[in-house]
Amino acid sequence: MKLLHRVALNLTLVLLPIIALWAIIFYHSMIEEINDEADDSLADYAEMIIRRQLAGYPLPPLNSGSNNSYTIIPLETAVEPFIKYHDEMVFIPEEEDTEPARVLTTVFPDNNNCYYKLTVAMPTFERDDLRNAIFWYVVALSAVMVLTILVATTLIFQRSMRPLYALLRWFDKYSPGKITEKIPDSDVHEFHKLSQAAQTAVNRAEEHFQMQKQFIGNASHELQTPLAVIGNRIEWLIDNTAINEEQYTELSKIQHTLNRLVRLNRTLLLLTKIDNGQFPETSSIDIAALIRSEIEIYDEIYSHRNIQHTTDAPESVNVKMNETLAGILITNLIKNAFVHSPDDSNIKVILQDDTLEIANSGSAPLDAEKIFDRFYHDGKSGSTGLGLALVNSICRYYGLTTEYRFEHERHIFKIKGFHRDF
Amino acid sequence: MKLLIVEDDTSLREIICRALRSEGYIVESAATFADAQDKTAAYDYDCIMLDIMLPDGNGLRLLEHIKSLNKSNRIIIISAKDSIDDKVEGLDLGADDYLAKPFYMAELSARIKSVLRRGNAAVSNIMKAGNISLDVHGRTADINGNTIPLLKKEFDILLYFLQRPNHIVDKAVLAESVWGDHVDMADNFSFVYAQVKNLRKKLTEAGATVNIKAVYGFGYKLTETDETAS
Repeated sequence: MKLLHRVALNLTLVLLPIIALWAIIFYHSMIEEINDEADDSLADYAEMIIRRQLAGYPLPPLNSGSNNSYTIIPLETAVEPFIKYHDEMVFIPEEEDTEPARVLTTVFPDNNNCYYKLTVAMPTFERDDLRNAIFWYVVALSAVMVLTILVATTLIFQRSMRPLYALLRWFDKYSPGKITEKIPDSDVHEFHKLSQAAQTAVNRAEEHFQMQKQFIGNASHELQTPLAVIGNRIEWLIDNTAINEEQYTELSKIQHTLNRLVRLNRTLLLLTKIDNGQFPETSSIDIAALIRSEIEIYDEIYSHRNIQHTTDAPESVNVKMNETLAGILITNLIKNAFVHSPDDSNIKVILQDDTLEIANSGSAPLDAEKIFDRFYHDGKSGSTGLGLALVNSICRYYGLTTEYRFEHERHIFKIKGFHRDF
Repeated sequence: MKLLIVEDDTSLREIICRALRSEGYIVESAATFADAQDKTAAYDYDCIMLDIMLPDGNGLRLLEHIKSLNKSNRIIIISAKDSIDDKVEGLDLGADDYLAKPFYMAELSARIKSVLRRGNAAVSNIMKAGNISLDVHGRTADINGNTIPLLKKEFDILLYFLQRPNHIVDKAVLAESVWGDHVDMADNFSFVYAQVKNLRKKLTEAGATVNIKAVYGFGYKLTETDETAS
């Protein structure tokens, strides 16, 4: 949920009951006032009739055009005078219908101590109309008020939060080691502090990133000479001393392990170089031809495993890439497929448009989250666990997307987004 | 042939000196930029092995200095930095070859032979063993003057053996040298065996006086047979 929506929702949740309560109170007090007015005018009317009755003046005609009606009934017994208001249905002769009306009942004595009961009725359809009108006005006013507040808040909110959104957009674009723009700053105190905090965090992350890169690079460099010394000493032992087969076997095994270490070290250096962007030269590389020649080489190397392969690719597909990196990318993908294929299985390579897909048989899915990480292995001896990390680094360098999925007992690696060079 | 090793790591310097001396070279060594500068100024060497990361200076500057002396020596850069920029700069400055650490001594020895041959136009690019002669650039192999038809990999394997006569060559190392990084995860070297078998057959059919012998379970060795009289 966006912050703006959250604020609008909260505002609505708070405003609606308050405004509704206000509307109800307002409506009721209005109605109260109207009833009071009506009762007052009924009382005036009744008083006018009583005065006329007592003074002996003629009473107003029943049909005076005001829809008001009255009845005066003499009472047999004396009753304590009272005034009572109530609502009831009254027959209005002019309308020839019964209508809701406000009725005043009162009892008064005349000079002769004769008691009369006066009932004055005033139809309330006018009052009901008013009531209705007031009700709708209150509803409409409340709705417009809520809407106005929401719109105004939204606009003001968006305007005030601009620096925050600018900062968020900057974070979306940020990736370690690749700073392109400055962190957006603001003269609003809070946003300025946020910006500063972000700058501090990013600086620290950058520093760690650089240090880590440098450490791997330096460590690998420093290892080269000792590795050369060990290798050369073993070589010297083999070539220049009288050793028996058993000793030779041991030395040769040490040499093999050392070779693995050398490869591992070389690959780490290579990864550092890719991440440092040290392969800037690009040329037009025919990856279709590259794929075919790599497959031919691996077909020979793994011929004892009887792995079948099919390649579905156009005659040539030229892409703009660094020649070394293109070679490493394709080699590692195809090597990975051959190395991890069971005997007598098959590998399928599809190159179509900007997408390369390599599928090989397997028994269980791999961890898609970790498969492109450094040193993720399946425990196969000789594996450096860096092949797919190299693939990932190169893809990241060129903005290609990598995808792994397991489908129908097959591992499928997909590289998408090659820039065709025509 | 007189060689100079410029390398700051004592152990590596010692092993290179020892290995090259055992191949019959006269070898001198320098551990620092200043030492190397003195030696190159005072003496003539046929080939200088130059580490470009020295404690008291950049080997590339030393390379410039040596070139400015206008001597006819060959220079091979040995460096822990396997970077294209360094390689290009080194070769531009006049180095004859570039070898990244770590390397096999046999490889260094082969490169030295190769650059020394380049200095001698008469025998350039031809390698011999027994009655086989290999034209490294033309990529042809002759036995008694007859060209034998070799496939690309067979030629590479034969060249590798010729660069290391009488050395035991490990199958895995041979594979890595000929097939490159492609074989770094191979667990079975039957493909090397198949290629070597074909090569052997072709050599025998053409009457070669060298033989590629299997050594123990995992290596080969190029040896000259004694039937040279025939």
